Parts: sequence; C-alpha cells; structure tokens
Amino acid sequence: MIERFSSGFHPFVLPFLAGMIFVLGYCVYGIVRILFQLSGEDRKKFLVSLVTPKTFVKNIRDIFCDCLLHVKLWKRNRLLGYMHSSIAFGWFMIILLGHIEVMLFLPERIHLFYYPIFFNFFVAEADSTIQGSLLFFLMDFFLLVILSGIGLAMVKRVRSRLFGMRRTPRPSLLNQIGLYSLWAIFPLRLLAESFTAHISGGSFLTIPANWVFRQFLGNDLNMLPTWWAYSIALGVFMSVLPFTRYMHIPAEMMLIPMRNAGLKVRNARKGFARVQVYACPNCGVCIDACPMSVDKANLKDCTVYLTRQLRRGNERRIAEISDKCLLCGKCEAVCQVGVEGPKLRVLNRAERKYAVKADYSDIPTGTLAGAAEGGKVLYYSGCMSQLVPSIGRSMESLFRKAGVDFCWMDRDGGVCCGRPMLTAGRLEEAREIVRKNTEIILQSGADTMVVSCPICYKMFTEEYSLPGIRVVHYVHYMEELLEQGRLVPRRGDLCYVYHDPCELGRGCGIYEEPRRLLGRLSSIAEAEKNRAESVCCGGSLGSLSLSFAKREKITRAALDNLYTSKADAIATACPLCTATFARYADRPVRDLAEIVDLYTDGKLKPDTI
Amino acid sequence: MKENVVIIGGGVAGMEAARQLLFLGYNPIVVEQQDHLGGHVSQWNRLFPDMASAQDLVRHMGEEIVDANIFLETKVNFINRLREGYLVMLSNGVSVACRAILIASGFRLFDATRKEEYGYGVYDHVITNADLENWFNGNADSRIPAAPKSVGFVHCVGSRDLKAGNSQCSKVCCMTAVKQAIEMKEHFPDARIYCFYMDLRLFGKKYEDFYINAQQEHGVQFIRGRISEVGETLDGRLQVKAEDTLSGKPLRAQLDLLVLMAGMVCNPDAAELARMARLEVDSDGFLRSADNIAGIVGSNRPGIFYAGACTGTKTVPETLAEARSAALDIHRFIQGK
Amino acid sequence: MTDFGFTLSRSSALDLTKADTRLYERLCSLSPDARTCMGCGSCSATCTAGPYNGMSLRKVILGLQRGQDVRPMLKGCMLCGKCTMVCPRGINTRQLILNLCRIYD
Repeated sequence: MIERFSSGFHPFVLPFLAGMIFVLGYCVYGIVRILFQLSGEDRKKFLVSLVTPKTFVKNIRDIFCDCLLHVKLWKRNRLLGYMHSSIAFGWFMIILLGHIEVMLFLPERIHLFYYPIFFNFFVAEADSTIQGSLLFFLMDFFLLVILSGIGLAMVKRVRSRLFGMRRTPRPSLLNQIGLYSLWAIFPLRLLAESFTAHISGGSFLTIPANWVFRQFLGNDLNMLPTWWAYSIALGVFMSVLPFTRYMHIPAEMMLIPMRNAGLKVRNARKGFARVQVYACPNCGVCIDACPMSVDKANLKDCTVYLTRQLRRGNERRIAEISDKCLLCGKCEAVCQVGVEGPKLRVLNRAERKYAVKADYSDIPTGTLAGAAEGGKVLYYSGCMSQLVPSIGRSMESLFRKAGVDFCWMDRDGGVCCGRPMLTAGRLEEAREIVRKNTEIILQSGADTMVVSCPICYKMFTEEYSLPGIRVVHYVHYMEELLEQGRLVPRRGDLCYVYHDPCELGRGCGIYEEPRRLLGRLSSIAEAEKNRAESVCCGGSLGSLSLSFAKREKITRAALDNLYTSKADAIATACPLCTATFARYADRPVRDLAEIVDLYTDGKLKPDTI
Repeated sequence: MKENVVIIGGGVAGMEAARQLLFLGYNPIVVEQQDHLGGHVSQWNRLFPDMASAQDLVRHMGEEIVDANIFLETKVNFINRLREGYLVMLSNGVSVACRAILIASGFRLFDATRKEEYGYGVYDHVITNADLENWFNGNADSRIPAAPKSVGFVHCVGSRDLKAGNSQCSKVCCMTAVKQAIEMKEHFPDARIYCFYMDLRLFGKKYEDFYINAQQEHGVQFIRGRISEVGETLDGRLQVKAEDTLSGKPLRAQLDLLVLMAGMVCNPDAAELARMARLEVDSDGFLRSADNIAGIVGSNRPGIFYAGACTGTKTVPETLAEARSAALDIHRFIQGK
Repeated sequence: MTDFGFTLSRSSALDLTKADTRLYERLCSLSPDARTCMGCGSCSATCTAGPYNGMSLRKVILGLQRGQDVRPMLKGCMLCGKCTMVCPRGINTRQLILNLCRIYD
C-alpha cells in the first residue's frame, strides 16, 4: 500500500471532521456535567468502579453485548435483533478494521483520526498481500451486513409488525434528518469505495461494482463527489446526533458503567436520570408493553414519550405522563437499555410542592406492645386486604391449622405501609409513615412478620429497617408450612391461571414460588403473557390520574390475557388485583391464601417453628 | 286458526301478558328458561305493600293461562326476520312464525360475591335479600342464627354503584329492606335491626306508612351511611364499618346477621336477544324502550314489544300494568295490519 | 343608635350566601369528579387515617362546599387508596386529595 497524497489530507474530510469534533466535544461536556451532578459519594463510587478490574471487565462485556450485539433484542425478536446488531456491530467492525489497516500499512498516519474512515481514498494498492485481501474482504463483508440492516430498517418503517412491534413512536424532524443521514452513510460508502476500487483495491462487493461503473462511466470524475457525499452524510449525522435519539449510542455506554457501579436514580432530572433519558433509543418497545396502550388516548404516555418530553423540558406533559402511569414496571422489564421509567416518574412527582404537609403525630405506637407476647409471628395484611376479607380470614385459618401462634397486627385497622404515599412522590410523608410502623413493629416483640400484600411486602423489604425481625412473604411462609408438614395438601379439581401482580413479580422478582405452591394443590395453566410480561390489572395505586372509567379497559385487557389460558379460575397474590378482577371476571378470582386454605388440612399437632 | 304471539320470559310480566292475549283471542307461546313459571316473584315470600303471598299470585296467574302454549326449560336459539313478522327458533326444536314478539326477559339479581368487601360467600352470616325470602318460604338456611341479637340490612348492594357497573337505582330494595326488617323483627322480637342506607327512596303507595311503621312499631334503626367493609371480631361476630354521616362519626356495629339488598341489574340474556333481533340496548344495559314516557312497551323494531324489568327496574304492579299495556299494543299492531 | 345593652351571640348557622367556596370551585376545576360526591360516607368508614385523626373525605368535600377550613383532616391522610376502591361514584379520591393539598395556601 502506498499513499496517494503526501500531505495525508484532502478537504473532503472536513465535514466529517467538523461533525466528529462537535459530537466529541458535546459528549465530553455532557460527561463532565453529569459527573458534577452526581453526589460526591456516587461520583467516587462510579470512578472507583471504572478502575476496579471486576467491574471493568463487566462493563466491557455489557457494552459489547448490549450496545453492539443487542443480545436482549435478539431474545425479543430475531429480525429486530439482527437489524440493530448488524448496523451497530458492522459499523464497529468497519471502524476497527479501518484502524487495523492503517496500523498495518501506514502506521505513521494513525494519529489522524479521519484516516481509518477514508483509508481507501488515500491509498493505492501497490501489490496484493494475503492480509490486505483478507482485510478488504472483511471490510466488504461488514459493509454488506450493515447494508442488509439498513434495508431491514427501511422495511420496518412501513411494516413494523414483521419485527414484533405493533406501534412505533413518531420521529420528530431532527430525528428524521438523523435517520436519513444514517441510512445514506453506508450506500454512499459503498459507492465511494467502489469508484476508487481500481486504485485502492477492494473485494467482492467493491471490485465488481467498480468494474460495472467503469463500463459505462469510464472516468474517475465521480470519485471525489461520492467521497464528499460520504463525508457530508457522516458530518450531518454527527452534528445532529446530540439532538436526536442517536444520542443513545454514547449515553448507553455511560449508563452501563454507572449501573454496574450500583448507582441509583436520586434526582428526577440530574445525574443518572439524565443519562437514562439520553440512553433511551426511542425504539418504542415500551409502547406495546404499556397496559395503558389498550386505550388510544394513552398512547403518548409511555416511557419513550416521557424521556422525549424530559429532553424537551415540556413540564406540562412531564407532569401528565408522570401522574398517569400505573407504575406496573413493564416498560422497564422490556426496555433494552434499562431506562427506569417508573422510578423517573415517581421522582418527577416528588418535585411537586404541597401546601398541606402531613402530620401523623396522632397515631399511637404503643398499641401493639405485648400483643404478640408468646406468639412470635406478626401478620400484617395491609389496608387493601380489608376490602378482600377472604385473604385475612384464610390466613387466620391457615395459622390455626398449622398451629402457629400469631398476632394479626392490623386486624382492626392499622397504619398504611407507606408505599402509596411513596409512589405518589411524597417521600418525606412516606418516611414518616415508615417511622410510625417501625416503632409499632419493633415494640411487638415478634421475630417474624408475615406480609400478604405485595405492595406492602415490597415496601417492607426495601424501605424498612427492622433489626431482628424476618419479613417473609406469605407465599414463602405457606410453602414452609407445607414443607414442614404442618399443612397437608389435598389436590383441588379446578385448573388455575396465576396472574403475576406487578409489585410481586416485576417488583420483587417472585415469579416461580407462587406457581410452585399452586402446582402442589391444583393444576395450573399459563396465560399468553406471564411472569415479567404479565399485564397490570389496572387497579394499581401507582396511577394518580387514571379515572375509574378509564381503568376498565385495562382490566378487561388483562382478563382477556388470562382467559387465553382456558383455566377455570384465576389465582393471584394481591388484594388489589383480586378486587379489581372480581368486578369484571367471568370466572372465580381467588387469592393464593384462599386457595391454600381450601386445599390443605392441618396436622393437629401444634408446635412452634 | 289463532294468531301466534311469542312471549320470551315466563315471569309475572310474561304470564300477565299471556293472560290478556288469551282473552283477546290469540295463541300466546310462553318460552321460559327455568322449570317453573313466575320468575323472581315465585321465589319471594310476601309482597309489599299488602304483604300478599307471592306464591298465591303466581298460582292464580298460572291457573288463568293453562290454555296457553308454555315451554319450560326452553331457550330462544335465534330470531329470523321474515318478510312479514318473525321466525323464532326454540331450543326444544320448535320454530314459531309470528307477527309479534313480546320480550319479558326480566332482570338478574346482582351477584353479591362481586362486592368482595361484604364477604358474601366468605363469612358465615352474610346473606342476600333473596336468601332471606327463601328462608321466609320455609327453607332452612344455616347462615341465619337461631336467635340473632342484631341484624343489619345493607341497602344499594350493586346498585347506584359504578364500581359494580350499575349506576341506576334498583328502586325496590329500599322498600324490600323495610319490609324484610319488619318481618325479621316479627321473627326475632328481641333483635336489634339496623338499616344502612345512602338515601331512602320510598315513593310508592303505602311505602311511607311502612317506613313509619318500621320506626314506630318495630324500632328499626335507620343509619345514613354506606357500609364499606365487613370484618369479623375475635368471637366470630360480624363487624361492619360505616360512617354515621348524620353525626359525622365513624360507626362500628357487631351483628349476627347481615342481609345484602342485592339490586336488580340487567339480564345478560337480554343483550343476546338484542343481538339476535337487532334491538337497541341502553347505557345501563337494559333494553331501550321506543319512548320512556309514551312508548315504554315499544321497541325500535316493528312487532317486538317489551314488558317488565327488561327495560329497567320495576315493581310488580308496574310490571303487570306494562304487561297489559303490551298485550293491548300487540293486539292493535296485529289488527292494524 | 341606642345600644340596648346586649349583643346577639354570633349565629352558629351556616350562611350559604356568605360561604367562601372559591377553594371548592378551584378543586372542582382540577378534579371535576369532586362534584359527584353524594355523601354516602363509604370513604370515611373505610379510611385508614380516620380512626386516628378524624379524617373524613366526605366531610372534607362538604366542608369545602360550606367554606370551612379542612386542613386538619387532610394532614392525616396516608393516600392508601381504600377510599378510591370503595367510592360508589368512582371518584378518583387520591388525586382529589393531592390536588387539594397543593392548592391550599
């Protein structure tokens, strides 16, 4: 390989250079700003994690798998996965191979960072070598891979259903400019490299193309304009990148190390939250996932639109989207980059100021003292369970059958766990409720606390500190009783479909235990969408603004999903889901406690755990 | 040959219409899903305001329509529009060509298990108004204690309740509750009886007298507050929570029996009939009358008429009056041809 | 004017014409369903906070209609959502309470 220009420069690289410098400058500025927005503690944690070997390796691996190979997308839909990884990984390989070429043939030019991109323009092939033709072959191969990805992207614009997506977000004007310039880059590169292939050399794609072009053009006049066009396309893409969804490319590379460092979103707009907002690739997977999307009026209230409005700073819409969400967490579960949609919403709710502050000083905390004396098990059913009496009643019956000495903490009304207040964004009020409950529980003298409501359970495990007390979910507790032989199962004749409550499944990661428990007592069937993909019942307290009438559609859609199982009855493990489903369901809806009580006998041998 | 008229529903509306149509010289064909005539009324014990026996009423009406064609345990499979009139196919294989159809498909009692918070089917001593009438009829019910010290009646269960999917007032439950409260007091003179209501709607003839009588003679206590949840005390009694809205205080009461006044809601079978005969359904799920003042028994289709609770909540006398009116309208419709 | 030597004690009657209902109207513009309350008391009966500080959403709405200060009751609310579940008129009570807490000044 020999150089065609002794200067190693040609003015056509300028558009690319300008775009590249701009985007790099923008990213450096962004990174510094975000680092300053982090709390001192978080910043330190993050920087330390970058140089810790274990997290370093994990970061590299995650960036490779998520940003380049899009492993999660492959799992969702192969076509979608191929489309994304072909472009991302192909582009990465072209850049990498470009650098290898420069290092191999013209190592003195490696400091010019446009050189690897436009290598074929600057060189002439003096003699062909094995390495050279292999590299050229790989370059052409990956270009072909990218072009196939771009082709699929074009198909997806008109036929998104082929890619497993019913709805895709509508791109803004700048996003369209970004999109079309991205689409233009690779065909232009092919064209440019083809026009110079008789000088620089090429492979299976560029050499035949060069031959074809030379048959009817027969001159080199098209060479320079196509290289200019290629450079301009790159320049345009780079300079609009910070204002388009393509900002997700650099932002995701920032998000992954931050997440691996164990950082949490603490502020609605700054630091980690900002990174998440920019890391949203606007793919729109969350639109179809959102349970509210059954109603067209709610289509623009899912997470992809939240991040968009957060970038635009449209406060009215941010408030609207934040308030409407059911916080079911499905958008987060399906999100490819890990944008924490529900959390961002809660923190945006928390930005609001309230003139009336709560005051819980009237709540006495000594009431339970000694109540659990002798009995070491405290049962907390939660507010909502009082509206579904079958739960508490079945729990009482189970405790008695198994000979457990228990005390029902909120049998006659109690204090809310605080989660509804927390998700409404009134964090200080929620903490006050937590303090009250903590005092009551610690005074009870119990060593085990059984919680049957998943909303409360999530709150107790995440926000409470109860030293010396084991907080256990009733599913685990009932399983223990069965395993210890204190409850003896009988098989029921009904077939149940288990509905994963949002707070228990996606919220606490408890998917298999309820199924295992249910499986011991009856036959079970699965709904079409289950586990992490389960559909919210629509009753969630997460939403502040969804009216009762608007929730009905969501509930019916969730029921239709459960009906796909053809089961005789619906089982769930949340009082809110039970009460919500019972309104419209055409078959019995039962809580797990009720089912376990129905199908088990006691051993009549009272002893303590 | 006498002209056929198909009557869908063999409750008191259908029976009364059949009686009138027989008198007018037609051949009424009564189609009833159940194995007996009389519908909900046949399950009741005594009817307000004169405490007349529901069984006697149904028996007398039945005696007067022995000449009619009555198909019990039969459903309508489909209704086909003919060039003139309709062809009604029944589940027993019979198909009837007729010029007029009377829909008297009535109502359903609200399924009280849907109001989870009241614990119907969960607690041992929670029953519905229909369960109580069944007990009055002499059928044993283990949920009713031998000597209850206190009994509560909950008005508006499943009616005037968007959460239950019914915004309409069920109209007859206030009066039924007053009637049943008095009857319970007669059964258990020592029991305290409470009626938990949102609004008392006692509009009919002699209803207010019943109310006064319940207060004066029987000491029934009326509490303005809707029960929001039902729990159990440690000794197994029911504990209800309501707000005594008149004193503005939360109220609790321990009861030995709770009676839920399940309201009248639309019959889902009516929606099926509406689909078959392309009839209009109102926003409350009941069939839509041609006109709510002058055309209550008319439908949006020529030759199809309504009587009774298929178009909305009705009392027994209202239902019977509508049935007569419908019979007359059918007569005029057929003669007018 | 001659002073007769005694004054009428201030009437405890509610004067609807003088009641300041601006706050109620403001609330209704944010939560229109506040107008549909029929005062059945379901919310108050089921209220988690009620037994501790007398919180009663029915009384809050009524108090606003009569121009009274309802803040002491609002302070006890834990937003648990039971009232939303039981309201027969389907009022979004949690949003109503949050709106009210915001507009008070």
